[in-house]
Amino acid sequence: MSIYLFIEQIINGLIIGSTYALIGSGIALIYGTMRVLNLAHGEFYMLGGYFVFYLAVTMGLAPWIAIPAAVFGAFLLGMAIQRTTIHFLFGREGWMFSTIAATLGLSIFLQNAALLLFGEQFQTVPYYISGIVELGQIRIPAQRILIFVVAMTTIGAMTYMLKYTRLGWAIRATSQDRDAAAVVGIPAERIYMITFGIAAALGAIAAAMLAPIYSINPWSGLPILLKGFVVVILGGLGSFPGAIAGGLILGVVEAVGVQITSSEWRDVISFGLMIAVIWWRPWGLFGSKPS
Amino acid sequence: MSDTPMLRVENLDVFYGSYQVLWDVGLELGNDEVVAVLGPNGSGKSTVLKAIMGLVPIRSGRVIFEGEDLTQVPTHEMVAHGISMVLERRRLFTNMTVRENILLGAYHKSVAKDTKARLEWVESLFPILAERRDQIAGKMSGGEQQMVAIARSLMSKPRLLLMDEPYLGLAPKIVDQIVQIIRKINSEGIAILFNEQNVKLSFGVSDHGYLLEGGRMVLSGTGDEMMNSDVVRRVYLGV
Repeated sequence: MSIYLFIEQIINGLIIGSTYALIGSGIALIYGTMRVLNLAHGEFYMLGGYFVFYLAVTMGLAPWIAIPAAVFGAFLLGMAIQRTTIHFLFGREGWMFSTIAATLGLSIFLQNAALLLFGEQFQTVPYYISGIVELGQIRIPAQRILIFVVAMTTIGAMTYMLKYTRLGWAIRATSQDRDAAAVVGIPAERIYMITFGIAAALGAIAAAMLAPIYSINPWSGLPILLKGFVVVILGGLGSFPGAIAGGLILGVVEAVGVQITSSEWRDVISFGLMIAVIWWRPWGLFGSKPS
Repeated sequence: MSDTPMLRVENLDVFYGSYQVLWDVGLELGNDEVVAVLGPNGSGKSTVLKAIMGLVPIRSGRVIFEGEDLTQVPTHEMVAHGISMVLERRRLFTNMTVRENILLGAYHKSVAKDTKARLEWVESLFPILAERRDQIAGKMSGGEQQMVAIARSLMSKPRLLLMDEPYLGLAPKIVDQIVQIIRKINSEGIAILFNEQNVKLSFGVSDHGYLLEGGRMVLSGTGDEMMNSDVVRRVYLGV
């Protein structure tokens, strides 16, 4: 394998990894804030993809209008889903299990709803930008560079939001101590709803960016959910920075691993990595060891 | 005690699930007063404070503050009504800095004005917290964490401060410091309702006390009355 091909694979890995980071950070945000494992997270991605498809292809809107509109739609949908399902279970006896069961049910419900509404044919969205960027011997399609730029900008904006804004402080405070947050005047219920909305929006951004490369279908959420789990386990469950690092690492390991073996080994590599991390550092590569 | 108390708790019944923990509890607290809720472990004294703050559901009874019925007000709106709380065992946002913790005390929109002036005020009460502003709160000592917790609770400029076991788990020297701080806060015109197991320690600062036993209020009185009471001796020593 030439060194250029190897570098190209690492760059490709970082690009796909940046979208894994978007998915994983959504799962991490919900788990970190509410301790709810959202098994319907893949469906946020799937529905986000359909939103983009309908706005950009069926309605023919320009991508720079269609994508923000789809992301905002996913944000509202995420909030609505939290308010109508998790909200009524959260904090009750056995909520840790009941929320898992509820999000699993939600996942099946949304898949079948998508099948009924959108049909079973696979849909794709055309490339948002064409052309190939050449750096010496390394050639990367501009579309892929756009994926990376959008994903990393989103992650940067999220990090800034969590660190410096009033909402970000409220989310972090609620995730660390719900009662203490309530005492200082933070309405936990509203924060939970917004957190779900943000996580859904992150999934929709990933979907929008991957839609031109992967197809959209009612079941496209499941493999993404599994990748998201690998990411949050690598990074440490509930850790937002961990999910970002975990996503990029997973992307690179997969890309290089596939290059060395073959593409059928992709999932073997990612789940093998996950099992190794669970075995060796169950609290994740970046999480802190529980005392 | 004045005729119209600042805080009046009436006939409070509280359940955890089907298990009753408070029976018909009542208490009063006047402007600028420091009142202690006493009782052995498991007597329900923490629950009294949590019920006032809305952290545990009230089955029946009322919480009246400055003439307003706050029984149904959710916890996150209490600071807007002038009540703040220091939770048991400090309960800081342990992954955030000292400064972030303190500023979160002024999160609520109704108290977010003059945040800067209040920050100066609380940092004048606890100069060490200004020095340590960028330290991660969870990495501080117990006494310093208690100072952060108190500073955070003061950022909403409350008229009444609830303190749940403010001395718990602190070294005797630190306890003396906290006692001084409570006196100082009170001298700034803030009423304080706190609970404590140690009767003698409580009357170092409080004007008035209530004694809880098994979820029922069994006695109230001034420090001297309580210290010499047979009931207190019976509750604590079982004689």
